[in-house]
Formats: sequence, C-alpha cells, structure tokens
Amino acid sequence: MPAPDFAEEIRELNLNFLILAQRMAHDNVAAAAVKLGVAEEDLRWLQTLSPAKLVRLAQGAMLVPQFRFDGALLKQLAGDVGRDEAAAQLHALILAQAKPRKSPIVGDDDGEKT
Amino acid sequence: MAKKLEQIEADAQEILIAAELIRLGARMQLLEAEVVLSRDRLMKLYKQVRGVSPPKGMLPFSTDWFMSWQPNVHSTLFANFWQQVAETDHRRRLITAYQLYLDTVDAVQIEPVLSITRAWTLLRFLNAELLQLTPCSQCGGHFVTHAYEPAKTFVCGLCHMPSRAGAGQENRKHRLAAAQRSLPVKKNRRRVASAVTG
Repeated sequence: MPAPDFAEEIRELNLNFLILAQRMAHDNVAAAAVKLGVAEEDLRWLQTLSPAKLVRLAQGAMLVPQFRFDGALLKQLAGDVGRDEAAAQLHALILAQAKPRKSPIVGDDDGEKT
Repeated sequence: MAKKLEQIEADAQEILIAAELIRLGARMQLLEAEVVLSRDRLMKLYKQVRGVSPPKGMLPFSTDWFMSWQPNVHSTLFANFWQQVAETDHRRRLITAYQLYLDTVDAVQIEPVLSITRAWTLLRFLNAELLQLTPCSQCGGHFVTHAYEPAKTFVCGLCHMPSRAGAGQENRKHRLAAAQRSLPVKKNRRRVASAVTG
C-alpha cells in the first residue's frame, strides 16, 4: 500500500480557502481582511482570479494559507484556560488583534509592491 | 439634471447606511450626527426598520461604563477591530468593525454587551482623548483605559482578573443584546452591505 501523500486533501483545502476568501472579499473586503489576516490588496487581486486560475493556484501539494500568529498566541487561542474559559478566549482574541497583519504579498505587474 | 441624479444617489447611499445602523441598534443621536438626512426622514426610516418609534432620552455620557470589567473587555475587542478596519467612510468603518465584534462574540458564544451606540460613544471618547488604548505591561494587548494611563505600570483586567469578574453575568445580560438577537436581519444586512460595496 503506497504511503498517503495528502496531495488531494491539500488541494481541496487550498481551493476551499481560496473560494471562501473570494466570497468573503466580495461581501466586504475590509471585514474579510481582518478575519482572514490577509492584506486587502491581496484579496482584491484574489477577487479578479478566474475559477481556472484558482484551481491552478490550489494545485501543487503545498498549502497556500498559513498560520498568522506566533506560537505563544496559538497556544493561548487553543485554550490556555484560566479561571474563566470565556474570558481566556476573549483575552486571546484581543491579543490576536494587536498582531500586525500581513503586508501585501502580490505586487503590481511591474513587480513592485503596491 | 445630472446634479439631481447625483443628489438622489447620495441620498440613497445615506439611507442604506442609516438603515444598516438602525438594524444594528443605533439610537437617533448617532443617526443624526452621522447621517446626512433630515430628522423626519430618519424617524420614518427608524419606524420602518424597527417597527417602533425610536427611544427618547439622552445617551449615557460617562467614560466610567467602559472601565468596569466586562464592558471594558468588550469595548477593547471592538476598538481593536475598529483600528484594523481600513475603510474610508467612517460610518462604514463603524458598521464593519461592529459587525466583526458581533461575529466574534457570536463565535465564542458570549452575549454582546456593547451596543453600537456605545461603540460610537467609545470612538468619540477616544477621539476627544478622554479615553485611550494602552498596551498592557504583561500581555501586550491594547486595552481601553482613561487617557494618560501610565503604560509602564498598566495591567489589563484580563491579566489581573478582579475576584468577582464575570460573576452575575446572567443577570446583567443586556436587554439590547436580546433585542438585537431577536431581529431576523442577519442575511438581509449582508445583502444590503454587499449592494453598497459591490
């Protein structure tokens, strides 16, 4: 039995993410940027992509979306539960907001960042 | 003629914004300050959207509410969202940030405590430098505090929880929050939003 390479799963996850990002950006770019942790410029670029291009972007057995927080915060978000679970969760969410968002990745056609 | 069309378009824009603010629970004072429509039209719109006349009376004017434990956590969350939302129209910025706040408390199954009118008051207080966002010296999160809070010694209410924090939350559940929840407008609200931005 061949070892699983998870390529299919990764492709599906990528595609799910890209389609969701497109939909959210279409609904409200500013809100989508905050929720996804992706720069608005990148979301706008993503919106212009055709389905065929999305599929191509999703292929390649490498994950497109990535962790946006550092380890300490991830641990806290995962449930570093203190006395009050709800409070701990809100605390982690507030700290998540303080982290700087990613700067745009996708540059203009001439290769310069917008 | 062209000017008239522009006028109509601008009016429509204002009405959409006003309707969205009303759906989110905005009081008349907020609408009158932020929307370029006559008081009469706003009153009418309010009745159409909510089905009742707008509540009368003054808005609470005190920075103290934002300092008690639970409201402070909620307003801090909102203020952080507000800082992150890049939107040129400040009304849209308020709406989007408040929507993000509602979505977040919804996702972690907590009742919203901050009404949109309070959120707007908070922004005015921040603007007038009665309140500010101060980084906690322990966790680094930015929290709503009185202006000129010394940052070196500031410890936020979540790093140092008061002993009775969160107790009696059930009783304190905001009436407005319940009213908001009972409004079946979530889907509509989004459609309206995308009609404007899209």
